[in-house]
Amino acid sequence: MSPALLLAVPVLGAFVLPSLHRASPFASRVAGPLILVVQVALVAALWQQAVVHGPLVIELGGLPAPMGIAWQADQLGLLWCGALALLALVLWPREGHDPNRAATLTLLLVGAGSGLALSADLFNLFVLYELTALASFGLVVSQGTGAQAAATLRFLLLGATGSALALLGIALIYAATGTLNLAQLAQVTPGAMSDPLVLTAFALLLAGLGVKAELFPLNTWVPEVYGAASPRVAGLLAGAVSKLALLVVLRLLTTIFADTGAAMVLLGVAAVTVLAGELAAYRAQDLRRMLAYSSIGQLGLMALAFSVSNPTGIAAGLALGLHHLLVKPALFVMIADWPRRRPQTRGLAAGAPWSAAAFVLLALSLVGVPPLPGFWAKLVLLQALLGTGGGPYAAAAALVLVITVVEAGYLIPLARQLYSGEPAVRVRARIGRGVPLILALLLAVVLIGPVAQRLDQVASSVPGPATALPRLSASEPGQP
Amino acid sequence: MTSHSDLLGIMFYGAAVALLLIGLYTMLTRRHLIRVLLGLTLVEAGVNLALVAAGFRPEAAAPILGPGAAPAMVDPVPQALILTAIVIGVGILAFALSLVVRIHRTYGSVDLQVIGERLASDPDGTGSEIRRRAP
Repeated sequence: MSPALLLAVPVLGAFVLPSLHRASPFASRVAGPLILVVQVALVAALWQQAVVHGPLVIELGGLPAPMGIAWQADQLGLLWCGALALLALVLWPREGHDPNRAATLTLLLVGAGSGLALSADLFNLFVLYELTALASFGLVVSQGTGAQAAATLRFLLLGATGSALALLGIALIYAATGTLNLAQLAQVTPGAMSDPLVLTAFALLLAGLGVKAELFPLNTWVPEVYGAASPRVAGLLAGAVSKLALLVVLRLLTTIFADTGAAMVLLGVAAVTVLAGELAAYRAQDLRRMLAYSSIGQLGLMALAFSVSNPTGIAAGLALGLHHLLVKPALFVMIADWPRRRPQTRGLAAGAPWSAAAFVLLALSLVGVPPLPGFWAKLVLLQALLGTGGGPYAAAAALVLVITVVEAGYLIPLARQLYSGEPAVRVRARIGRGVPLILALLLAVVLIGPVAQRLDQVASSVPGPATALPRLSASEPGQP
Repeated sequence: MTSHSDLLGIMFYGAAVALLLIGLYTMLTRRHLIRVLLGLTLVEAGVNLALVAAGFRPEAAAPILGPGAAPAMVDPVPQALILTAIVIGVGILAFALSLVVRIHRTYGSVDLQVIGERLASDPDGTGSEIRRRAP
């Protein structure tokens, strides 16, 4: 089975869905989720294959690299393909303004995002990154309000400029090495590019990927977009799409930029991101903006973990990412019916007991209170940072502890406020779509052992420069 | 002749960097949304030129196979890449312009500062509050 199906099935579905909707609205309502179920089944089948036979590499068009475009279905990429499809299924647009258009864009997002996770070619990464960006622009602006348009335009200007800079980075790499295949680049780059040139290319690529990965200082769009977009879309972007961008950064870090100063650059950027995000969340008065800033902080933590680019660090990043993927979308969809300002949530538990209880549970997991999975994710991160040794990593570990206190400082008072005093306005709020995510979180409490083992296995299967994927002829230049 | 083609390479890269910087400067200093988008297209043009320059080889012909022995050709891969990059750029730009139209309909301006002010006094994000207060 070809990994390219993971791109082809949802994207074709996205093209068919509008015509199907015109023929039979009922069929199109059923077809969308069905395509995602097929997608999940495909991911599961490819996963089995990848676990047994190792990463599957194909070259589209049958031409070998550098002419053909390489795809690799390894466990790391497939894990995120599956997570993206499942999250899209949970947050599937059923009601609201023009659900059919939103459904088409969601399928496009799933297809492009899956391609992003599996692509092993630098230029293809750029194309799919742009496609993912376009799909998410469309989703953000789907209600068509002025505020959404303004937020999307800000996102677009930042994103398009970043992507142009990333393309410049790709041009630099191509000019120096003459290839775009990640596996080839991993072998060629150390000999072909000088250190300053490599770091410049990494900085340019990070300028592009950092926009979606919510890295400082490219994340100014985050509070506006997550504040203006529908909670469903905010959950999808914060939960899955931002992590796909970080996944690409990790791919670059373990192949082209292994053993360069790039890891230190990412560590520095991640540390500032964590600090800026969590401090802004502490000060935020608008609930959605608070969640948006907290998502910046959590992605910073994930980037911190990835900057330790050994299996322990990667496993920690995956644990943090999967935990955030469950918690943040659940929080976004849950507070949709709540008043937006922080002070107005006083005594909310009286009218919405389930919603308030779920908020407390999710907030505690986000802070990292045992035995919730958030505790375990942060513990693995600390182990990874301290296990690496060296001043910068020890400082990062201290930062993680400080940040946990800051997180507790804004989430716990809010949770207490829900249960104290008389409600200003009596709101009724449902948990609704948060339920499967919360159940998955609770299931993870019980299954933490097997999950950890599986993540370690995924992390140690990530191909490094030494175990580069396709076997290359010995005539490649630039081997030191 | 080699110094001549070296000069050509430097000119390519110099023009690319100049376009990039002019574009960035425009994006950062203009408040008119259409001008900001023009800045973005300049940035993209600069990057595309850099990509073409990456495939430049001195004394080489255009990469089109003809009858007879093939002469030395410039690298075709970057040229194929920028075709894709241009198409993506056009798509993004068209989408951005449609957003500008939407913003103009809601807030009655394409000036970033005015939009920011009106956005702040627009609680539900639909512009209804502003239209209600407008004379």
